[in-house]
Amino acid sequence: MEERLYDLIFIARPATPEDEIKKVVATIEHACTEKGGKIEKAEHWGTRKLAYKVAKHREGMYYYHQIRTNHGELITELERRLRVQDSVIKYMTIRLDEDLKRQKKLTDKREKRAARRPRRPAATPAAPVAAAPAPEQQAAS
Amino acid sequence: MAEEQKQGQEAPAAAPRAEGAPSGAPSGGRGGPGGSHGGPRREGGPRREGGPGGGPGGPRRGKRQYFRKKKVCKFCVEKIDLIDYKRADILSQFVQERGKILPRRMTGVCARHQRWLGVAIKRARNIALLPFAGSAAGSTAPRAVEAHKS
Repeated sequence: MEERLYDLIFIARPATPEDEIKKVVATIEHACTEKGGKIEKAEHWGTRKLAYKVAKHREGMYYYHQIRTNHGELITELERRLRVQDSVIKYMTIRLDEDLKRQKKLTDKREKRAARRPRRPAATPAAPVAAAPAPEQQAAS
Repeated sequence: MAEEQKQGQEAPAAAPRAEGAPSGAPSGGRGGPGGSHGGPRREGGPRREGGPGGGPGGPRRGKRQYFRKKKVCKFCVEKIDLIDYKRADILSQFVQERGKILPRRMTGVCARHQRWLGVAIKRARNIALLPFAGSAAGSTAPRAVEAHKS
């Protein structure tokens, strides 16, 4: 199986002590190393306002991880671990590699097109159209 | 005869519009070719009927009577190939306050980007970055107070 890239976001309760968060992050890291995944990015977005109430909280601490793995079971494992954590009120994993592949394809296509026709100013077709009606107007009036 | 007079009245009216706003040239230019064709019957029809008659009068222009600014897809302009669901600040421009996704006709987003935008907004909703429609904060409380008064 080819490698896949996932986004993992979880929201912790706003008043969670730092130790608890560290524990959760440690379990994620531990599960990743165990199942052959690699954490590409780890970010802490801080406390943000939630768009709607989650578990009676209006705010939450966002933690973001990007994980590269070729074992899908890792994701189920991570989700199971996050589910049992009391301090985690919401989590989400999203597969990203297909979107990124599509993005790359489109970007390559655009660059190729730009290379083939290096100068194609967008203003040129618009200018004659804008200029043409003016003399007509003068002739009519 | 009356139609000719009407034409004569409208031609000068159209001219200053074009001069005042250069971007409005397409709408003003529509009067020009019509006058040069010299087809009063053709010209009279669309004026009375309004929108649908405008088709045969100027199919090349294809513009409506009133002028509307052409909206362009923000994502195409900025050459964004991937709409990130994590950028709530960008996504929130394309939803109403309550979280409804705005239609394409209002935002001018192209079909392809609107499709991706929809996916991104739905992902953002899942992780509480954007509200689901109708779940705006504090919407129920004021209504309850009003009910008490009456």
